[in-house]
Amino acid sequence: MQLNRDALTRAYRQMKLIREFEERLHEEIQTGEIAGFTHLYCGQEAVAVGVCEHLTERDKIVSTHRGHGHCLAKGCDVDGMMKEIWGSLEGLCNGKAGSMHIADIDKGMLGANGIVGAGAPIAVGAALSNKIDGPDAEGKLAVAIGFSGDGACNQGTTFEAMNLAVVTKAPAIFVFENNHYSEHTGVDYAVGTAGDIASRAEAFGMKVWRADGTDFFAVHDCMREMLDYVRVPGNGPAAVEFDTERFFGHFEGDPQRYRGEGELERLRETRDCLKKFRASVTGAKLLSDSDIDAIDTDALAAIENAVQASRSAARPKPENVLDNVYISY
Amino acid sequence: MSRIRAFTMPKWGIEMTEGTIAEWMVKEGESITRGQTICLIETAKITNEVEAEYDATVRKILVNGGGDAEPVGALLAVFDEGNHSDAEIEAFLAEFKPAEGGVAAGAAKAKADPAPVATTLAVADKPRIKIETNRPISPEALRLAEEEGIDIAAIEGSGRGGRITHQDVMKALRGPASPVLKGAVQVEADDLTVFASPLARRIASQTGVSLAGITGTGARGRISKKDVLALVQPAAAPAAAVGTPAFVAGENRPEVVPFDRIRKVVAQRLTQAKQELPHFYLRMSASADAMLEMRKTANLVLGCKASVNDWVVKAAATALARHPDVNVQVHGTDIYKFPHADISIAVASPKGLVTPVVRQANLMRIDQIAAETRRLIDKAQAGKLSFEDMDGGTFSVSNLGMFGIENFDAIINPPQGAILAVGGATRQPVEKADGSVGFETRISFTLSVDHRAIDGAGGAQFLQTLKLLIEKPEGLFA
Amino acid sequence: MAKMMYRDAIRNTIFQEMQRDSRVVVLGEDVVGGMGTAGGPEAIGGIWSTSTGLYDAFGPDRVIDTPISESAIMGAAGGLALAGKRPVAEIMFADFIGVCMDQLWNQIAKFRYMFGGKSICPAVIRMPMGAGYNAAAQHSQVIHQFVTGMPGLKVLMPSNPADACGLLRQAIRDDDPVVFLEHKFLYAMSGEVPDDPDFVIPLGHARLARAGEDVTIVASGMMVGYAETAADDLAQDGIGCDVIDLRTASPLDEEAILDSVEVTGRLVVVDEAPPRCNLATDIAALVASKAFASLKAPIEMVTPPHTPVPFARELESAYLPSPAKVAAAVRKTLEYR
Repeated sequence: MQLNRDALTRAYRQMKLIREFEERLHEEIQTGEIAGFTHLYCGQEAVAVGVCEHLTERDKIVSTHRGHGHCLAKGCDVDGMMKEIWGSLEGLCNGKAGSMHIADIDKGMLGANGIVGAGAPIAVGAALSNKIDGPDAEGKLAVAIGFSGDGACNQGTTFEAMNLAVVTKAPAIFVFENNHYSEHTGVDYAVGTAGDIASRAEAFGMKVWRADGTDFFAVHDCMREMLDYVRVPGNGPAAVEFDTERFFGHFEGDPQRYRGEGELERLRETRDCLKKFRASVTGAKLLSDSDIDAIDTDALAAIENAVQASRSAARPKPENVLDNVYISY
Repeated sequence: MSRIRAFTMPKWGIEMTEGTIAEWMVKEGESITRGQTICLIETAKITNEVEAEYDATVRKILVNGGGDAEPVGALLAVFDEGNHSDAEIEAFLAEFKPAEGGVAAGAAKAKADPAPVATTLAVADKPRIKIETNRPISPEALRLAEEEGIDIAAIEGSGRGGRITHQDVMKALRGPASPVLKGAVQVEADDLTVFASPLARRIASQTGVSLAGITGTGARGRISKKDVLALVQPAAAPAAAVGTPAFVAGENRPEVVPFDRIRKVVAQRLTQAKQELPHFYLRMSASADAMLEMRKTANLVLGCKASVNDWVVKAAATALARHPDVNVQVHGTDIYKFPHADISIAVASPKGLVTPVVRQANLMRIDQIAAETRRLIDKAQAGKLSFEDMDGGTFSVSNLGMFGIENFDAIINPPQGAILAVGGATRQPVEKADGSVGFETRISFTLSVDHRAIDGAGGAQFLQTLKLLIEKPEGLFA
Repeated sequence: MAKMMYRDAIRNTIFQEMQRDSRVVVLGEDVVGGMGTAGGPEAIGGIWSTSTGLYDAFGPDRVIDTPISESAIMGAAGGLALAGKRPVAEIMFADFIGVCMDQLWNQIAKFRYMFGGKSICPAVIRMPMGAGYNAAAQHSQVIHQFVTGMPGLKVLMPSNPADACGLLRQAIRDDDPVVFLEHKFLYAMSGEVPDDPDFVIPLGHARLARAGEDVTIVASGMMVGYAETAADDLAQDGIGCDVIDLRTASPLDEEAILDSVEVTGRLVVVDEAPPRCNLATDIAALVASKAFASLKAPIEMVTPPHTPVPFARELESAYLPSPAKVAAAVRKTLEYR
């Protein structure tokens, strides 16, 4: 289905924003100014944006440790996110979350998660809530998306969540981003079903889709079909495996010794969703190069602003440690 | 002579097992002369000066002053005439062995000795025992148990694997607990119509305060104890308080004074005496006017300063000589009957109650008794009573008359068989020979006897004689 | 007031709260029972009979019978709560917390804190726990000692039917995540329960089960009954005991404990958890640090030994505390000099 100019512009901007956000973090982390662990999403932007462009605020997503992309794609504030990663009191979570736990409940973003596989059951819970709320005026249910990777697809929590979703007919969508590495281990070794994740979800009793995760349009089209299916009350959950790549290590600081010779260069060249998008839309004359360049500039500027703002944002005080453990005690 | 001589812990009296160097009066390298005081040694009973028996040089002092007790025979210092090398002194030290007649040997000897060697008085050394055991016990606990003579068989070890700890031994030393119990209290059940803490609820119940209407200042608005107490004891209500000002009790914190060595021994001995000896009490009073008159006269004539108690001692000693079955010591199942009365008199000293002995008081004249008691009292008050001064005694006289005590029952000092408690002289109305009422000075006596060795009749007859001697004191000069 | 069993107090409270607030949702294994069978739904109505009749009243959307998937149950409770519902999830035996610990410990307990106070997670996790039925090592444990130490969770341990009612209602209405620990041996315990559909017990408010000024006994859960029995026996001998039923391990009613010890000077804590790092040691440390000067004797802790729960009747009996063991501990504090 054809997207109009606005939609294309928006989609590309989102992807570029994520790309610049992550690339900039990659640089900043090396200065030592950012505390803790960070896991960057570069290379997988098409999945986050291709999925989230379809979603409303009633739809929930639950993310992974590699969650910046999902957060931004779901509409979380760029400045707020950057400040959070900087640990500022003005961050999206008041400096309490950091990279691995960023959330914005109001936007339906139920958190990145430091525990691999933990997101899937939470997503099912959110889906059950949507099921209880019932369909909207158009007879459509809100859904809950649980993002997972090829690592999480081996966790028991993922299996339990899938089964529970099927038997309760929860409107959950399990999105498996297969970037071929679970931490430092290749998917062909770790996933017993010969690197094929979707078939597992299928075995649990749900409809599955597969698509190339580096092709925004493939992702976007696939997701439209899935949502049409899952939003129907009584259809239950669905799963999709997107074949994608990550350009950085598992975590920032990972020397990536497991990569092949010239692999990263090749991926950047042939499996870059932004390059593919540009080629596709300019080829079809939907947007021009200068349109896209303008978006590039705009995205870069937004990230630069976010970083500057983060550097000068308020720091938390020691007494803030005690904030918000409970509502009342 | 040119020997290296060992200075060891001396044995004063048959029961002494250990002593402490209270203070050295000489230093290593010092030359000392015969008769010079070397050190002060302290035992459970006394502190005594030790004098050099020969001229010498102090070569080595092995035990510090004010330290732990050393057993009898332990090496304390080494003297010579200054003519040995350090190596020779070291060699001497290496080869030195304490003398055979140590603690154990001494005790055995006492038992075998037929002649009644003076044994313990009221204050005696608690023998440091040696504990051999396979039970797990901490070093500190073992030392404490040995020092205090505790039988560890009775102790259950509370440490790991049943190990006896220092705390366990300390507990065995302390008596059983006797807490004051208050019992159960009735409190209204918490029904949450009034949100009050458990203690506030209890205080309200006990003091009859109603919880309704109290504003809680506790967490979450709960009524806490101080909210209730504010109603029970209104804070600073100076409402025209005429009359008695309220007394507010402050802290009554005790000063804790643990038993010192002497008191520990006294406590143990007295407890043992009170628990084990079948005490039997005989009471008698005597008219003292005649004796008091004669005392005045004798003091003038003889130029002495005999006290009333000196006269009682004289009378008692004389009576004992006539009633040898009261002048006894009990040793196990043997009664030692003494021909002469060695009277222990109780004297207050800076170190506590001490009991020096007036020996063969039955043979002394009243002025001799007065002189002797004076000498002993002075010595006691200077803290200088020697072991010999207090050793032995066949009978005790204890007088609390100077404090206004009318009569009392004294506890026997084992191994003695009896003790005479003397009350104060009081003026009493009596029926005179012509039927009228007159006043005379009377003194009350209680004789405590060990009923195993002295029966009622024997004690009574002694008291009869004593009474006679007091009421007709010329009998003391017969 | 109505007389009912502990299990019915729980069931009735859930029922009333589900009526009152349509956001309250129940989920767990066999909370309905009989799903997908010839016997049909409600074939058992919950293995502890604490959810009987809920399915008939509120339907499958709000009463969710799950497969045996503790992680999914616990995680779904978290997700439901974040999404705006008020889930009451049941983990059938508290021992199974091992299977789903991450979802409780790293997720539910921490959401609010990690998300900067911008979310609420009003989940209630009900877990039957404790020994007494010879169910042996993997079905007889208590777990309060673990969850009390998790910041972000509240931990409730009712000891009687009225408390079960009032505390559960409070838990469901509380916006913080609550671990509600029911003692399975108390399910058949009978007691008076207030009729008031708004009867709640504030958290951190201990109950003074018995009063006396000689010794303080602190207990929770099934141990409260033991402490009460012991106190009644001791009262015959003129020994008065304060028996403090904690009701809630987190938040803890520190004031009640310290106030009592300041009067009695003697403390006995009874805890069904094994002796290392349990609630008894927590309370003993609290008292030793904040009421040291009041203590007249060392603190006594009555707990099982450092072992798993054994099977044979005599062994489980020997394992558990008992009124006699509590009374002996009380006497021990009185013997100390």
